[in-house]
Amino acid sequence: MQTKKMLNKIFVYLIMIFIACITVGPFLITLFMSLKSPSEGIYESILPQQMTFSNYIDAFEKANFGQYLLNTVIVTALAVPLNLVFCSLAAYPLARMDFRGREVVLTLIIATMMVPFQLYMAPLFQLTGNLGLRNTYFGLIILQIATAFGIYLMRQSYISIPKELEESAFIDGANRFQVWWKIVLPLSKPTLITLAIYTFTFTWGDYLWPLLNITTSEMNTISIGLAKLSQNFDGANMKLISAASILSTIPTLLIFIFLQKYFVGTTDGAIKG
Amino acid sequence: MSREQIPIPSTNVPLKKNRKAKGFQILTPWLFLIPALIIITLFLIIPIVEAFIWSLQDYKLIAQSGEFVGLENFKKIFTDELFWRALLNTILFVLFVLPLNIFLPMILAALVNQKIRAAGMFRVLYYLPVVTPMVVAALMWRMLYSESGFLAKFLYEIGLFDRPTNLLVQSSTALFAVAMITVWKGLGYYMMMYLAGLQNISKDLYEAASIDGASKLQSFWKITVPMLIPYSTLVSVLTIINGLKVFEEIQLTTNGGPAGATTTLVMYIFNKFMDLDVSIASAAGIVLLILAVAASLLQMKLTSKREEDLRG
Repeated sequence: MQTKKMLNKIFVYLIMIFIACITVGPFLITLFMSLKSPSEGIYESILPQQMTFSNYIDAFEKANFGQYLLNTVIVTALAVPLNLVFCSLAAYPLARMDFRGREVVLTLIIATMMVPFQLYMAPLFQLTGNLGLRNTYFGLIILQIATAFGIYLMRQSYISIPKELEESAFIDGANRFQVWWKIVLPLSKPTLITLAIYTFTFTWGDYLWPLLNITTSEMNTISIGLAKLSQNFDGANMKLISAASILSTIPTLLIFIFLQKYFVGTTDGAIKG
Repeated sequence: MSREQIPIPSTNVPLKKNRKAKGFQILTPWLFLIPALIIITLFLIIPIVEAFIWSLQDYKLIAQSGEFVGLENFKKIFTDELFWRALLNTILFVLFVLPLNIFLPMILAALVNQKIRAAGMFRVLYYLPVVTPMVVAALMWRMLYSESGFLAKFLYEIGLFDRPTNLLVQSSTALFAVAMITVWKGLGYYMMMYLAGLQNISKDLYEAASIDGASKLQSFWKITVPMLIPYSTLVSVLTIINGLKVFEEIQLTTNGGPAGATTTLVMYIFNKFMDLDVSIASAAGIVLLILAVAASLLQMKLTSKREEDLRG
């Protein structure tokens, strides 16, 4: 009985390790590829025979990935705080105040969540051109400043806060804004972090909109830089693409490792246009 | 004074009765809303309305004007063989992804939900693809798939093909190969959804089953799977919604090829946009919208039903 239990356990572990190989394997293969020296054949073996960082240096010096990383950092650093402020503000009256037009606004916001981006990308492209937002950082984040998804997520969080906490503050003479800032917002911290993570990962990896709105290479984000690099998908370029891919993934990976417990929340409201 | 009698400021019960305070109270919700509403109206609602208008015009992006043509654009796409091909490919893509998305993450969730050492670590490892930028995921897989790459070599060595084959360039396998990238990327995401469901299953059920002599596998089939069915409907609908919009993993690997074998609805819209046929793109976009809204409404119905079930 004891040995059977033991065997069972080993079997379960083996299955789990096998699945882990599938989910992590492509990363490891890409990582090893990025460490291969220029003289080495790309598919001779999985492990690099002679480890070198020259592909990473090339990514910065030849492929201009330093600039692309910087652009992506700027865009993300703009998008995340703006998104948090605008969404958490807008969600408050939708959760707690009774006013004419509330249902209309709420319906409108939920309705826009269902609209696929590909429907309105052409009009948006024309609009950003007319407003002078082509090839600007601001032009890249216009869809992330205030998102229907973010407002919806924050509203769900506010609703779950007991009303009594706010009421006592009103008695102490606080106004709506103070109550939002000092009571509601601190209590919604986990949701705020979830939303920040969501906006971060989305903006960091966004591809289609930057592809349309960026026309000069110095404005490229990492997604566009990688896509452009991969247009030449031959052997010699493969190690460089791998190095750039690893570089592009490290920041999201770090965030994930440090804020793991909040990632569960990102599956809450899963539709986004 | 009891709690209930304390006046609470809201638009219904004004704290101060003078007109200025009342006017301010009506304004308050809008002060919170206005910044977001301006942005959403300008960059979301106006472009959406414009897309509807463009779909009824022969809009020219360069001249920024168009004439009303009625349903001409819809007639054009409905008689375009490539459009139907794209629609069919989109449906096929969803059909490839759907069963895998329903069952694989369920197994993963059951595995990492066990009370064993290192379960947390495996959870992290399984979630890794979700946090990878889609562009990176697509390029990594393109590398694996390539003719001299490791996957092609592996499939050749286990005898699936008589020579190393790049699945992405065979028209018979390309769509399936792309779908596998999507499945890989989504495993951890849907696993988390099932994990939330597993947390709601009472431990007593498993204990009772084990007392009755049921094996772990039997418990999985007889308890876990049935209890997770409400979650699997949610996973299905989300898979459909996301599948309808599949783009990056296709554009960056096959670019819709070979010979249109992986041209999905969004690839079709994207190509029309690149040809500056924005009215045709808008009309096809409206077809996409109708499909997405149908799926979303289904999801909302299921979610609210689930909430009711939980409450009841």
